[in-house]
Amino acid sequence: MTQILIDNRKFNAEEGETILEVARRNQIDIPTLCHHEALEAVGACRLCTVEITGEDWNGSTKLVSACLYPVEEGLIVQTRSEGVLRLRQTVLDLLMARCPESTVIRDLATQHGQVTEYQQFTDGSKCIMCYLCVRACAKLGCHAISAVNRGTLKEVAPPFHEHAESCVGCGTCATICPTGHIEMVDTAETRTIWKREFEFVTCKVCGEPLITKAYRDYALENRRLPNDYYTVCSACKKSELSGHFARLSL
Amino acid sequence: MEKTYTVIPKNCTGCRTCELACSMVKGVDGNLGHSRINIYPTGPDRFMQMTCMQCIDAACVSVCPTDALMRNKETDAVEVVEERCIGCALCETACPFGHIHFDELKGIPLKCDLCGGEPTCVRFCPHRALEMRR
Ligand code: FES
Repeated sequence: MTQILIDNRKFNAEEGETILEVARRNQIDIPTLCHHEALEAVGACRLCTVEITGEDWNGSTKLVSACLYPVEEGLIVQTRSEGVLRLRQTVLDLLMARCPESTVIRDLATQHGQVTEYQQFTDGSKCIMCYLCVRACAKLGCHAISAVNRGTLKEVAPPFHEHAESCVGCGTCATICPTGHIEMVDTAETRTIWKREFEFVTCKVCGEPLITKAYRDYALENRRLPNDYYTVCSACKKSELSGHFARLSL
Repeated sequence: MEKTYTVIPKNCTGCRTCELACSMVKGVDGNLGHSRINIYPTGPDRFMQMTCMQCIDAACVSVCPTDALMRNKETDAVEVVEERCIGCALCETACPFGHIHFDELKGIPLKCDLCGGEPTCVRFCPHRALEMRR
């Protein structure tokens, strides 16, 4: 057990916990964009920056990202110091320059009092390079997308911008994207994402689209549930079973 | 767990007060689309309440890649830990009872969590068709 000081309040922390974890547990607000509890932290956005110091640091401080920095005994953390607020403003300013069309970023920037109107250079992109999609895809074991290129040309894409073989069209990347950058178009029969078209498995009772065939195959292989779990939609499962239960309970 | 969530279909009149109570407590502005319990007519004057079975060997728990569905030791309910969910929707299709549905706006699944041990639907059912039984 370690004791640390956040904004002049004392908190207990477990060995190996990050500053962010301790702060969140104690309802101290630190803004984040790339953090997700189920995914490995990568420290991509730097919005969670806090200022730290120690008793024997002779007054020197440093700025670190709270989502990565593990706590240590006697750590003194400031989450709203002048330096921290200025850095967060800079981070948001750069993000505003990158994607002024993203409402999430605009709202955050407004909250932090830092809204500059920029001419966009990444034509309409809302990607903030948080890698949530890349990490979520990897978590599912598909690894269909990753960051390509460098500098201002950097973007998330499947290898060589080609059809990603390992993509199953689950749409997790589009769901998890905080700015709605990833385009996914669903019709009654198909889903188009990352320039690939996926066919849906349709409910054998009502014909509603369920999940993509590739995703069903992925689930069958990796999650080991019987095939007939994936043939009927939720609504039809319920109405079929309600009749079945009714007969049982008579 | 001392008490078990029990449905008594022969008492159900299909008034759907449970659905309304659930969506008031768990949904947005009483939007019935977010109710975690649904009433299905099964014959003349017969209804069946369909909600989560809190399965012992739950399909939703076993498909979840991030352990975002976890059993609450106190209530024995399977709960969604929103912060751990990446929105892959595997649980939605996997549920053999069709219980889980996806909140498209938030990108997380919705399911019954027994309201932490004291289900609101039980409290509001006027016909004792839902009970917590010992
Ligand atoms: S949340 Fe820590 S760097 Fe993005």
